[in-house]
Amino acid sequence: MALEFDTSDIEYMSYSGEHHLPLIMNLVDQELSEPYSIFTYRYFVYLWPNLSFLAFHKGKCVGTVVCKMGDHRHTFRGYIAMLVVLNSYRGRGIATELVSRSIKVMMESGCEEVTLEAEVTNKGALALYGRLGFIRAKRLFRYYLNGVDAFRLKLLFPRPEPDYSDSIKSIADESEEHGDGMPPEERIIQ
Amino acid sequence: MAEADGGGDAKAPLCSSIPSGKDAVWFDVSSLLHRACHDLRNDELISGENFNLFAALSALEIMDPKMDSGIVSTYYSVDEAIENGAAPIPLSFDRTSDIQCVIDIMDHFLACEATWHKGGSLAQTVFSCIYLLRPERTSSHALLHSFCRVIRATCSALVSAVSEARTNEEEDLFTMAYGLPLKVNGDEKCLSMIHAVDETLCRQLKACKATVSKKTVLEDVEPLQIHLDLEEGFCKAVLCRIRFRKHFYHVLTCLRKPQGRGLELAKKHIISCLSELDSMLKTEEFLRQHSACGTVENEDEKTTASGCQPVGFDSTLNSRSAAPTPPRAIKLLSWKRAVDYFRKLLHDLDVICSYSLDPVFEGALRFVVDVQKFQPDLVARAHIQLLLVQDGKLYGRESLFAVICKAALLPEGAKNHDIQKNESVQQLGQLLITLFGVLCANTAWQRRKLGKILQDWQIIYVQLELAFRKEFGETASTSVEQDLLLKVCKHILIWVEEQTYWIALRFLMLGFELELYSTDEYCMVYWYIYIILIKLAEKTHLKIMLSNDSSRRKSKKKKDFVKDVVKDYHVPPAVLFLQCYIHISQGLMMMLASLRNENNIFLCQGPFNTEQERFVQHFELLQKACLPDHASFFSFTETVANTHFSTLPIHNCFKDAQKIAKELRGSFANDPDRLGELRQIEQVAEHNYVALNLLCRLGSLEPSLKISFDFIHHPHFATASVKRS
Ligand SMILES: CC(C)(COP(=O)(O)OP(=O)(O)OC[C@H]1O[C@@H](n2cnc3c(N)ncnc32)[C@H](O)[C@@H]1OP(=O)(O)O)[C@@H](O)C(=O)NCCC(=O)NCCS
Repeated sequence: MALEFDTSDIEYMSYSGEHHLPLIMNLVDQELSEPYSIFTYRYFVYLWPNLSFLAFHKGKCVGTVVCKMGDHRHTFRGYIAMLVVLNSYRGRGIATELVSRSIKVMMESGCEEVTLEAEVTNKGALALYGRLGFIRAKRLFRYYLNGVDAFRLKLLFPRPEPDYSDSIKSIADESEEHGDGMPPEERIIQ
Repeated sequence: MAEADGGGDAKAPLCSSIPSGKDAVWFDVSSLLHRACHDLRNDELISGENFNLFAALSALEIMDPKMDSGIVSTYYSVDEAIENGAAPIPLSFDRTSDIQCVIDIMDHFLACEATWHKGGSLAQTVFSCIYLLRPERTSSHALLHSFCRVIRATCSALVSAVSEARTNEEEDLFTMAYGLPLKVNGDEKCLSMIHAVDETLCRQLKACKATVSKKTVLEDVEPLQIHLDLEEGFCKAVLCRIRFRKHFYHVLTCLRKPQGRGLELAKKHIISCLSELDSMLKTEEFLRQHSACGTVENEDEKTTASGCQPVGFDSTLNSRSAAPTPPRAIKLLSWKRAVDYFRKLLHDLDVICSYSLDPVFEGALRFVVDVQKFQPDLVARAHIQLLLVQDGKLYGRESLFAVICKAALLPEGAKNHDIQKNESVQQLGQLLITLFGVLCANTAWQRRKLGKILQDWQIIYVQLELAFRKEFGETASTSVEQDLLLKVCKHILIWVEEQTYWIALRFLMLGFELELYSTDEYCMVYWYIYIILIKLAEKTHLKIMLSNDSSRRKSKKKKDFVKDVVKDYHVPPAVLFLQCYIHISQGLMMMLASLRNENNIFLCQGPFNTEQERFVQHFELLQKACLPDHASFFSFTETVANTHFSTLPIHNCFKDAQKIAKELRGSFANDPDRLGELRQIEQVAEHNYVALNLLCRLGSLEPSLKISFDFIHHPHFATASVKRS
């Protein structure tokens, strides 16, 4: 399966227009089980083209990452929606480079944290994100349609020391979060 | 889209006839829309501000077989399906194949039901059966009719049990019954109908046995089907299936008897259910051999014992009317797996039925935690909850205030104190009910909720303190009254603190079961567990001393007092138990810290943040609730920085834990669960002691040593293993 190639031959590119869309869709359709409509892709790449990246090897698209960011309950957070590397190109740091680029843009854009969901069985992805500093913040019971649990992974960017000295007072009037902290908006399935 | 709108329709009278309201003026935009459509190419999207991710995900591509489940349905309605002969009655005019088909239906129902319990929707599983959807149609077929009735009655009983328990989000899908005919007139008589069918079958079975052996017919019994040589096999296959339903329905009714009064009887029916399941498995061979169809080869796809596809099911029929979101195809459990599921469910229910129902708080708490170790599914968990809290009382028997008083080690009379009418005290009772509910949820949800209710417990403490002070000033006039009130307040407050730390501990421990921590994070997690345990032990000890103190003051004369203090100085077993945990977690924390400091492993490093961010995220909820005070990332790093393999206490930790665990065996001789726990603790301590010594001798000298942590001896306390790679 392993392919001979020089990692220095891999070129990374930010999403830069309609011609990239079919490349992303093909990769994701090939490697992820969940079907997405074209509207889902459009939603991401049109609103946050600067957060999507593609990796090319000699002109062929071999990896991609698709993300968004926005306000979420008073925090500005980034969200990694899809990450895929062609099977024969895996294990050489391409995915790490792709997400790192997105995360950097998120950090520079003022995000306080980055989140995503991954199947509890997806050891590769979990290790990759763990190395980047993500923690497993929650386990989501039977999150995927196939009945498998997911982890909500979170990366918190450094910020000034939080002050909890008067938290008891503020707790009292903090309204109960809706549901389990999993707004339908983020029930994207990978 | 432009085509569908059709130019001619643009001037439809309906659009122009909507009168303008108070806040709205209506315009006909059809022609505008029509023109705009021409500007759009295929797949293009106009994104409005409210077009969020959910909307994007819900958008379907029509006729894409991966998404549009509408296109795979064969019929547009149940009636159309029936008209086309999808659910004939009788299933066949050949009586043998009629029976075979009914058995397949029974088996497929079991697969559907298990899939429903495991998270499928009722509409796409059990109610994908056309016979079930048209109750009146089956009345001419006694066997199928009674079976459908008992299935509906069972589903209906479970839906109400689960919705009454209201455990968590899982139930949303479980209880969604939309427009399904869940409650049908006459279903309440299902047991007597099943009983009649059972009797007929018994007579048929007897008759055929008699015919085979003595060649004489006892009475004039019409056989179940036409092949005499197969009669016994078919009779038996149907009997065990019918009886399983009967007993299972009994189990559910017994479980719902108030105050757990039906548990004994439920246990008997559980045994019967299990034996009928065994009988069902034994009929598999027979049914497969005599099946009249091409059978499914893949064991995992077989939803019937015979391997035939059942007649009369169509999971797409309800899909349009049923789901709020686009329906997705679901995969049914196989028949074998369904049988396994029911075995497990019955086992879990049996554990629940075996509980003593002693209305003591700690007992109830440990009961739920112990049952959760078997990882029961929703149905079993809902029943634990229904049993625990009935009519706002523990097991429907003991008022929560009485339960709290007992748990806070107050004397018997305290439970009648007027303070229970105080609003904050009543709120405390509510928190207790919530806590029981949370503990019955699946562990993933449970942990999230535990994290959140910590704050409620912190707040109630403050509120109780205020309320008690106010009460003290207003109502207690004599010194006797004041004494009693003071005592009640002190005990309850300490108990609330103890409980809060218990919740915090469970929150942290569940993180291991849910695999939320990476090995790099174990050090900080054990550090946190360690400091929480210290507080918990402290509060527990205080509570016990407080009650010893007051009971002694009451019952003993002055001169015995000094002697007693010496005697009572023994640390109570409950506290020693916690002490064991304290030693183990301290030992693990120090071992991990030394490995970080001396071997440079298990460090939390990443390109975007530091260990502090991980700490903040993992313990945010505890920190917000000040559990405990002054616990900070700074105090953690300070502790870690000063820890090395040469630090003396490390070595004592595991030794001490082992020693205490051994000594405690005597105190818990009658408690097999606790004894098991102690044995596990001993093993963890022993193995870690060995590993630690190895690391101290070889540690930094031998960089090829591979150190890993696993949970082979205890679900929360890791065991280190050291290997040469
Ligand atoms: C998960 C996935 C994106 C990872 O892609 P990848 O390009 O192989 O990831 P990386 O190469 O960056 O990292 C993976 C491994 O390569 C190693 N690696 C990183 N840089 C390397 C390099 N320069 N040379 C060799 N190996 C390297 C990493 O250490 C890591 O090893 P480990 O996990 O065995 O410890 C890919 O497996 C995939 O597409 N999976 C299917 C889709 C999926 O699951 N997506 C994620 C959903 S959350």
